[in-house]
Amino acid sequence: MGHSKRMDQPPDDPVPIFGTWPRIYAAVIVAALASMALVALFSAWAY
Amino acid sequence: MTPLDWVVLGTYLVGIVSFGVWAGRGNKAMDDFFLAGRKMRWWAIGLSVMATQISAITFVGTTGQAYTDGMRFLVVYFGLPFAMVILCLTLVPFFYRARVFTAYEYLEQRFDARTRTLTSLLFLLSRGMAVGVTLYAPSLVLSVILGWGESTTILVMGGSTIVYVLYGGNKSVIWTDVVQMGIIWIGILLCFGVAVAQLPAGFGFRDALALAQTTERLRVMDPSPSLTAPYTLWSGLIGGLFLMLAYFGCDQSQVQRYLSGASLTQSRLSLLFNAFLKVPMQFLILLTGVLVFVFYHFHAPPLLWNAVQMRRLQERADPRDLAALQGRFTAAHEARRRAAEGYARSREADAATAYLAAESALQAVRGDAVRLVERVNGGARYNDTNYIFPTYIVSYLRGGLAGLVLAVIFAAAMSTLAGEFNSLATATMIDFYKRYFHPSGSAAHDLLVSRLFTGLWGAFACLIALQAGRLGSAIEVVNRFGSYFYGSILGVFALAVLTPRASSAGAFYGLMAGMAAVALVSRFTAVHFLWYNVVGAVVVFAVGLALSALSPRAVGHA
Repeated sequence: MGHSKRMDQPPDDPVPIFGTWPRIYAAVIVAALASMALVALFSAWAY
Repeated sequence: MTPLDWVVLGTYLVGIVSFGVWAGRGNKAMDDFFLAGRKMRWWAIGLSVMATQISAITFVGTTGQAYTDGMRFLVVYFGLPFAMVILCLTLVPFFYRARVFTAYEYLEQRFDARTRTLTSLLFLLSRGMAVGVTLYAPSLVLSVILGWGESTTILVMGGSTIVYVLYGGNKSVIWTDVVQMGIIWIGILLCFGVAVAQLPAGFGFRDALALAQTTERLRVMDPSPSLTAPYTLWSGLIGGLFLMLAYFGCDQSQVQRYLSGASLTQSRLSLLFNAFLKVPMQFLILLTGVLVFVFYHFHAPPLLWNAVQMRRLQERADPRDLAALQGRFTAAHEARRRAAEGYARSREADAATAYLAAESALQAVRGDAVRLVERVNGGARYNDTNYIFPTYIVSYLRGGLAGLVLAVIFAAAMSTLAGEFNSLATATMIDFYKRYFHPSGSAAHDLLVSRLFTGLWGAFACLIALQAGRLGSAIEVVNRFGSYFYGSILGVFALAVLTPRASSAGAFYGLMAGMAAVALVSRFTAVHFLWYNVVGAVVVFAVGLALSALSPRAVGHA
């Protein structure tokens, strides 16, 4: 398959925080859901 | 505009062009010019990605949209964080490891030359048109402030951006974006703070929010399942997700930013940086627009936001009709002010009803004014949404702040333009000139031609900008135009990385089918444009897979 015809993979930096990439992605998704929840709360709040 | 405002704005313009030229020194080959030598760090790329996306249209158009329609537009960005994660898992590693200059170059490695050429051509068409609108929006600002012609503004802004991008390439783009993004954040926080501080005595921030809430301007989450309703929660989450996947994953103006990363990790982090910041930033911009709406309850708004059109109306309309209209408008505004104060004091249902009636009465007079303008202009559609925020800035910001906020609008425009000039030149150079006409030029020759293409695209953008005034709300125009192609191109990239069975014929004809499907949906249904990307991507993927399965050699390039 074409996308398996990879070039020599360049060296990469270590994962910067949280130890693994899946944990970083999970943190991003949790933050996104939290921001949406805050926006919903902001919209519905009785001022 | 005071002399201090001019000093601030002039300092910004001279400073950013000088800095851009200085930051872009030392280019010796295309790798330097187009990808900044592939040495950039995540935070610089991340700020550049953000600056490229936040155009002056975002700043001027969405504040105006929040004023007239509320904060519903925020949902468009709800899909962005998820799109960033998906891209980090899928396309970004493929692009980075393939060591390509353009996203479309990767499609030739995976499929064939015609798929690469067609997708790159679609990018050039859609982005080439969009960059003209991006350049046009800030010209509205100075036309309101000084009565300058929009053409003059277009040439000043486009020309100054061309100078540093033409000289320094992507290095100039990224480093000026870093500075411009800092200025933009300062401006956003400043506008927000000033809008709150300028509320009248005895009328607090909470009162302002209550008033905005009564008119449904704080409503963001519309759970309607309708495909035709604009900016529903689902169109934002799903349509917005596909829009952001297409924009950040398949649009060279963004791909080129993160291809400049020193490593795959740097490229990924730059996108995730955006995933954290984009929604809060857009929230603040929209909320500022809502606060300007509240502000104009206590300060007289103009009958028309476009001062040029107002002057035309004064020249061409019957003076008695216009005076009567202005009188009704002033009275309706005064009635709305009293109703707003009454509602803020009591917060009772009756007061809310009275306030909404006063708001409707004011809008009815405004509607009469708009119809009068359209009649005077021979029936041409009139929309002054993009003039609201600039009018507020020059009318009520003092002590150099107007100059600073205008510098923010310039920064937002120039950062986007710079990225787009650079990426349009890259696609032209890599996907066409070097692919078909002159594959083995010397480094000096390639650099010279790359600069030539940068200049040509800049000139083309100026030409398009001169025609953009005939289009409607600029923010919608840009997104709508991109939506005709974006989703279909995303479908091709999905075929490339998600399935080994996709063949080049499947990708090519799938792309045709996707664009045809979007054209049909657009022509014969009232489906909102945010769904076009979903339609395009899904049709391309399904048709591409089906054709690949039917073709004699079902497996793609091995």
